[in-house]
Amino acid sequence: MKFLMNTGRTVNQGASVENKRSAAYNDETGTCFMHLFDMMELGVDDRENVRVTSPFGEVVLMVVSDEHLKPGTIFVPYGPYANHIIDGETHSTGMPDFKSTEVTIEPTDEARKSVYDLMADLGGLPYDH
Amino acid sequence: MIIKDAVCPFCGCLCDDIEVTVDDGKIVAVDNACTLGNHKFLGDHRLPGPIRRDGDTWKDIRYDEAVEYAVDMLLEADRPLLYGWSGTHGEAQCVGVHMAELLRGVIDNTSSVCHGPSILAIQEVGHPGCTLGQVKNRADLLIYWGCNPIDAHPRHLSRYTRYADGFFLENAFRDRKVIVVDVRKTETTNLADEFVQIQPGADYAVLSALRAIARGKGDALPRTVGGVPREQLVRIVDLCKKAKFGAVYFGLGLTMTRGKYKNIRNAIELVDELSRHTKFTISAMRGHYNVYGSNEVNTWMTGYPFGIDFSRGIAFYNPGETTAVDILARKECDACLIVASDPGAHFPRACIKHLADIPVVQIDPYANATTAFCDVQIPVAVTGIDAEGTAYRMDGVPIRTRKVLSTGYPSDEEILGRIYARIQEVRQP
Repeated sequence: MKFLMNTGRTVNQGASVENKRSAAYNDETGTCFMHLFDMMELGVDDRENVRVTSPFGEVVLMVVSDEHLKPGTIFVPYGPYANHIIDGETHSTGMPDFKSTEVTIEPTDEARKSVYDLMADLGGLPYDH
Repeated sequence: MIIKDAVCPFCGCLCDDIEVTVDDGKIVAVDNACTLGNHKFLGDHRLPGPIRRDGDTWKDIRYDEAVEYAVDMLLEADRPLLYGWSGTHGEAQCVGVHMAELLRGVIDNTSSVCHGPSILAIQEVGHPGCTLGQVKNRADLLIYWGCNPIDAHPRHLSRYTRYADGFFLENAFRDRKVIVVDVRKTETTNLADEFVQIQPGADYAVLSALRAIARGKGDALPRTVGGVPREQLVRIVDLCKKAKFGAVYFGLGLTMTRGKYKNIRNAIELVDELSRHTKFTISAMRGHYNVYGSNEVNTWMTGYPFGIDFSRGIAFYNPGETTAVDILARKECDACLIVASDPGAHFPRACIKHLADIPVVQIDPYANATTAFCDVQIPVAVTGIDAEGTAYRMDGVPIRTRKVLSTGYPSDEEILGRIYARIQEVRQP
């Protein structure tokens, strides 16, 4: 199914932002909030995983229902998961399209990676001491 | 020991009424701060000392070695990028600008991915803003557009708007009206007197419709604009015109969405139109506690607020070309110094992929996502906790943050000063 991905600040993201190794940060930024009707159509339950694909990459996220969202839109808190599938194009403004990436979503049994695993995939060496 | 009136170094509210209890060299309690501030003051997991990547492992190094590595990296680079700066004090930001000029590098701060577009709009049409104190004491109508202060600036409503007393308002809570414009329902929209839910990307159209109504041209509008019924838009303009003092606060819902800086230009021009009928102001909800300061420091030193390129020997500014996301996505820089920010977590994938290919030094108290791409990371004191310095609140008021405990970590200014002094020895012998 196709969705419009919005990203933004949440209080849990802000509270855990200085500890990116924490489960709190990984869970919050690795969550895709979605309307329950869309979840029913996709056949996924709360806290199950979905693969979110954009023209710029794909990432596995945990899905959580949010009745406040309009069907057809998803919300992902700011962080490495959303940025994994957002384009670096800024249309000559310096600002990427953080709030309007079109994505395709499907259920998956694949496990969600940690923030540090995402960094390792891009050639980084996470500091985990 | 209790330290009163400490300043919270988290968001642009820069709350200056925090009480911090320090016992045995540690912060054990924080009063008056919001959840975000509490976590910042009580946070641990500091990086104990400088680290250097050695193949597939990390090794601990001394501060001298870390500083030397940074100096060598910056001197050898043809096009160094110096990025971040919003999570540190103004004195450190000054050193960064001097360093960028001497290196003929590019210096950019996090506003290029937050309110950079707002500044572009302000450069086009000006900024009819005011201090938070004016809003607290006078505003009887608030509009939050594309922002969610309950989550991002939790005390904005209690200190300055919805729940704050006002000197010129008899019963501030009853007399103030709050309108929230957003694409989704949030905790903030729940406490609005009027919630305007617009379609994603429709901000420009809705702002234009409001301007048309304010000018008496509402009849020309279709029945809905951007998903909002015309009647609701007319009601909002009516509320605005009846207000004695209106204040608009906008967030990244305007800067990051389609239209970018043109959305903010339109919002400022709406405020201009409303000011023909009553008093209206508009201001940005700034995120990092000193992102406003990074714009101030850059502007008074170079003439430009962010994205400054010194490669020509003079300050050159062209957002979209000289901004960090573009430079990284084009794989243009050949070294990167990152200070007080985390692009590894907050930049698109294409940008951080380039960080993996070039030498990177980060100056930051915590191991974060960017650490994975560093050759060297140098931990420093946290401004407002174990270092002091000047920061600018979201309304442009400078506030001196306080040092509430001593930890022995050097400040950003000290480390950057040492790096700059060594660069001067080579470039300005």
